[in-house]
Amino acid sequence: MLSQIREHIFETDVLVVGGGLAGNNAAIAALERKAKVIIAEKASLERCGAIAGGVDHFMAYLNTAPWDTREAYLEYVAKIARGAINIKIQDAVFCRELEDALERMERIGCTLKQSDGTYFRTRALGQPGPYFINFNGKNLKPALAREAKRLGVKVIEKCMITDLLFDGDKVIGALGFNIRTGDFYIIKSKATILATGCTTRLFQNPTGLPFNTWQCPADTGGAQVMAFKVGAKLANMEYMRITVVPKGFSAAGLNALTGMGGRFINARGEEFMKRYHPMGDKAPRSALVEAVIKEIQKGNGPIYIDCTHLSKSEIDHLNKTLGYDKDTLPDFLQQKGIDLSKDPLEVMYSEGMQAGPAEVCGSGIMIDEDTSSSVKGLFGAGDCTDQMRCVHVCTTGGYLAGKKAVEYAQGLSYLPKNDVKEIQKIKSSIYVPLTKKDGIPFQIIENTIRRIMWDYAGPVRNEKSLKVAIQKLEMLSEEAEKLKAKDFHELMRVHEAKQILEVGKIMCHASLERKETRFGVFHFRSDYPETREEFEGEIVIWQENGKIKKEFKKLDYTKII
Amino acid sequence: MPPFIDMNKCSGCSICDRVCPLDVIHFDHEKKSPIVKYPDECWHCGSCRLECPTAAIKIMFSPEMIY
Repeated sequence: MLSQIREHIFETDVLVVGGGLAGNNAAIAALERKAKVIIAEKASLERCGAIAGGVDHFMAYLNTAPWDTREAYLEYVAKIARGAINIKIQDAVFCRELEDALERMERIGCTLKQSDGTYFRTRALGQPGPYFINFNGKNLKPALAREAKRLGVKVIEKCMITDLLFDGDKVIGALGFNIRTGDFYIIKSKATILATGCTTRLFQNPTGLPFNTWQCPADTGGAQVMAFKVGAKLANMEYMRITVVPKGFSAAGLNALTGMGGRFINARGEEFMKRYHPMGDKAPRSALVEAVIKEIQKGNGPIYIDCTHLSKSEIDHLNKTLGYDKDTLPDFLQQKGIDLSKDPLEVMYSEGMQAGPAEVCGSGIMIDEDTSSSVKGLFGAGDCTDQMRCVHVCTTGGYLAGKKAVEYAQGLSYLPKNDVKEIQKIKSSIYVPLTKKDGIPFQIIENTIRRIMWDYAGPVRNEKSLKVAIQKLEMLSEEAEKLKAKDFHELMRVHEAKQILEVGKIMCHASLERKETRFGVFHFRSDYPETREEFEGEIVIWQENGKIKKEFKKLDYTKII
Repeated sequence: MPPFIDMNKCSGCSICDRVCPLDVIHFDHEKKSPIVKYPDECWHCGSCRLECPTAAIKIMFSPEMIY
C-alpha cells in the first residue's frame, strides 16, 4: 500500500495551511512582497473555510462619530472580550490594518458598499453604534482566490496537512496527503502560517447531525493541535462558544436578524432579553445564549426571534442579505414555511465549539503583535489564534501574518534541512488507518468525544467533571489507535477525529485552571460561579517534554489606547 | 439528500466536485456525472449551487432539520 503512494516535494518561502479568509489574505500579503507562496487546503481555494458560501457583515469603525473611532472600538472590545482580548495585539492585528483592508476589498472586486456608494450599517452584539457593515459577500472567497492566483500563488487542493516539520528549534515546513489520491506531500518552507479555523464537531449537536454546524465542519482544530505538538503556546482554549441559530439548522444570521431589529420572544410572546442584559436584544452573544438557555430551563420555551414588526423595506433587506451570510438560509425558511414578515422564527442554542469567546478575539495559538507563535518560523492567522476572530480581524490580521512571515523568511538565507528518516516515520503513521480492517470507524470515536465533552465539559463544568472528561478522553485515545479508513476521504475524517480529540483534552486542561466563571455558559464553573477580576487574563497552555504546562497571563485594561 | 442534482440540467462539468468544502460530491469520470457520496457530511453551505453553471442543483433540507 505505502509503496504505491506517490510522493511530492515542494519548496517555498511561505506555506499557508488553510485557504480560508485569514489564510487567503495572508497569502496575498506575502505574494505582494514577491515571496514564493504555497497554500495547502483541504477543499478548493474558491470555496473553503467559514465564508465558503458567503458572508454579509464586516465590523469596522469609519470615523463618522464619537462611537465610530479606533478609541471607541478598543473600549468596546475591552468590554465585551475582557479577560480574553489583548488590546495591544488587537490594535496591531486590526486597527493598524483596517484602512488598508477596506481599500483592498474594493480593489479585489468585493465592495463593502451598496449600489449607491454608501455603507449600510447595523448595530448588534453589544456594539456602541452600528459597527457592522452589511454587504454582499457571496463572492468574497472567489474574489480573494482570484487575486492570490493572479499574484502567482501555488495551491495544493484537497490536501490535508497533518504534521509540522520541526528541527528542534524552528518549524521548517509541513507534511500532508491528498484526500482523493492519497499522494504524500512534503512541503519545505522558510515560514509557516497556520490558518485552519476553530474546532467544530467537538460537542453533541442538538439536532443529532454532527456536520450541521454553525462554523465550517471541515474546521477540526488542525492548527491548534499541530502547534501544540511542536511546543507552541495556546491561549483562551477553555472557552466553549455557542450561539443562537434557527431551530433545526445551525446557520449564521443571528446578527443580521437582531441587527435589523428582530426581538427575542418566549412561548407567551413576551420580550425577555432585557431581564437578562441591559442591552436587551443587542447584548453580546454570550449573554444572548445564556438568556435563551435559561428561558428554556424556566419552561418558557419555545423561543423565537420576531421580525413581524419590521417595515416592508427592512424585511426585504433581511430576505436579501440573510442569503449573503448563509446562502441556503432563505431555502430553509421557505421549505419550513416561514415568512419573516408574518411568522416569528423559532430559534435554539447551537452546538458548542472551540472558538473565541467574543466576536473580536479567538482561541488557539497564542500570537504576539507580529502574529508570531512562541515557536520560531510558526505564525498564526484567523480563528485558530487567540487574538483574531470574525470577518474583520481575519481579513486584517491574516494580511499582517503574511507580511510578518515574509519578513521572517527573508532573514533566512537557506531552506532548512529536513530529517529524511523522521519524515518517513511520520508518513507511515499517517496511512496506518488504511491497514486496519477490523478497526473502529471515525463516527464512533467522534460521537463519543461529543458526548463526553457535552456531559462533562459543556455548559456546566466543575473540577470533578473536567477530571472525569480528561480521564475518559485519555482512554478514548487508546481506542482511537484502532481507527480505520477504507479510502483517503475516510483517512481525512480519521485524522480530523484525532485532532478533535486532542482539542477536547486541551480544552479540559485549560478549563481546570480557570477557577471562575467567564462569558456566561462559554465557561461556567458550577464550583466557581462568580467572575473574578484577578482572572482578567489568558490561561496559557503548552507542552514540554510530553508534559502539559500551564500559566496565567494577566491582561492590562487600565490603558485602553 | 441535501444537494439534489437534476441530471437533465447537469452538463457534467465536475465543478461541484471541486468546490464542495466537505468533499461530499464526487464526480464519476466514467459515467460523467456527479454523485452525492457523503450526504451526512453536507454543511448546507450552498457552494455547489453557487458555482453550478447550469443551475442544476437544489438544496433540499431533511425533515430532521425542518421540524
